[in-house]
Amino acid sequence: MKHNQNIERDRELLLGLTRNDDRALATIYTENYPSILRMVLQYNGSEDDAKDLFQEAMIILYEKAQKGEFDLYSKLKTFLYAVCRHLWLKKLQTGNWQLALPDELEEVLPAEDANTIAEHEEKDQQFRVMEKTMSTMGEPCKTILEDYYIRKLSMQDIAGKFGYTNSENAKNQKYKCLMRLKKLFFEQYKS
Amino acid sequence: MNDFTLIRDIERYLEGEMSEQERTAFEALRQSNPAVNEQVLMHQQLIQQLDQYGQRVAFQEKMDKIHASLAIDEVLPPSRTAPPTKIFTISRRLITNMAAAACIALITSLSTIALMQNANRQKTTAQYEDVRRVLNNIQRSQNALINDINSKKKAPANPGTYGGTGFAISNNGYVVTNYHVIAGADSIYIQNTKGEAFKAASVFEDISSDLAILKITDSTFKGQPLPYTLKPQHALRGEAVFTLGYPRDEIVYGEGYISAQTGFNGDSAAYQVSIPVNPGNSGAPLMDSKGDVVGIVTGKQTTSDGIAFAVKSAHLKRLLEEMPKDKLPKKEWNHKNRLGGLTRVDQVKKLEDFVYMVKVYN
Repeated sequence: MKHNQNIERDRELLLGLTRNDDRALATIYTENYPSILRMVLQYNGSEDDAKDLFQEAMIILYEKAQKGEFDLYSKLKTFLYAVCRHLWLKKLQTGNWQLALPDELEEVLPAEDANTIAEHEEKDQQFRVMEKTMSTMGEPCKTILEDYYIRKLSMQDIAGKFGYTNSENAKNQKYKCLMRLKKLFFEQYKS
Repeated sequence: MNDFTLIRDIERYLEGEMSEQERTAFEALRQSNPAVNEQVLMHQQLIQQLDQYGQRVAFQEKMDKIHASLAIDEVLPPSRTAPPTKIFTISRRLITNMAAAACIALITSLSTIALMQNANRQKTTAQYEDVRRVLNNIQRSQNALINDINSKKKAPANPGTYGGTGFAISNNGYVVTNYHVIAGADSIYIQNTKGEAFKAASVFEDISSDLAILKITDSTFKGQPLPYTLKPQHALRGEAVFTLGYPRDEIVYGEGYISAQTGFNGDSAAYQVSIPVNPGNSGAPLMDSKGDVVGIVTGKQTTSDGIAFAVKSAHLKRLLEEMPKDKLPKKEWNHKNRLGGLTRVDQVKKLEDFVYMVKVYN
């Protein structure tokens, strides 16, 4: 009974995450990070290692939640643990992680979730490409695009911020930026 | 068409800023020109990537904010570096000192444990005495229900030591009352509402449920067919009940409800009833709304108001079945209810004739 209630609560939290509810995110983060941190530290990892590992697992959870088809069958904690284990393994294999895999990370990730990780890796790849492309963009393009696509500001606000006389001008600037981004991105993407 | 106008058109098309006319024109262009179509698809992909990138960056920023606000020190283990192991030699002297210290520690802890256990035992006996005292209280309260007729300085023509209530369970003079009413009696008299008294004798006693069955031995007694039955089912919590008894010389009516399915100390053969009960009510019938007997009032709790107890009619029924058949054949106490449709006043008027005062002399 208690177990079910826990799952119900976790499902609520997950729904909150889907709705971009900051409080749900904070709850999941603060409740689950300490145990991952403790485990990484136990295996002589650093705080940064733990943060990277956990945040990547959280991103996977978030992407899955965003897709809207994710139904939670185990506790969030179990899911996050399992994902962390897989990421840990991956990092070991690619050699950019020196920590031995702890036994306590049980192999509880179903095959479907293994797909999730493969999917995530592809997305991660694309993300890195976009990140690199964005970093090579000059100003004001970088800020305009970030304002529009990350901070979700309206073109009106962006026009005001950058001193354009109207949003039409700002839009023209955005088109130019997009043109440049498109060129750079597909160069990277295809290589 | 140069690159800039193309990308502007694609953006306006994808963001839904085009008018209907422009839209159809652009879609036609897409159809006819595969290069344009490819650009649109690529653009779509780019925007999607950008959106995902944006989402993730925003998410990462949120996480970093939460991370920064976490009190990391709390979750860190106190010390992460193992203390260097020191090697030191243990001298003989140290060993004797340590042994002495260990002995003292051992004795102290053992004596503490012994003391604690002793104290614990004393505590439990104290609790036990407490419980017994409560029990005694109840016993006293139950006894107190036996009306002390002498203390009321009644007319000497009607001498009696104790009094209670009883009611007929058969047409031929069998009456039920509480065992504690007639316990230790030399002689028992039954008196009806008209003031006629009949001699009776106890024929069956069940001390555990505090019930006694009396038989009227006077030849002058004439039985009447009973208008009620002993209800075989349990009454439900909240069911309205009423009672008729003799807390004084006159019959008194009281009403209340079943409050629990068990009696004092979880006795499953009794109900807890919320009904006004006074000394002298012992043995009074507890009736439901139809006028059937659901229980026999036996006592009340002195420590709190409004808590009375009644033996369940089902239990009485079981006792009657156990009784020797030649004394009280089943047909004598198995009747049909004839009070069902009546108003309470009429029910009580009929019932009065079957509820008696029980007088005990010793």
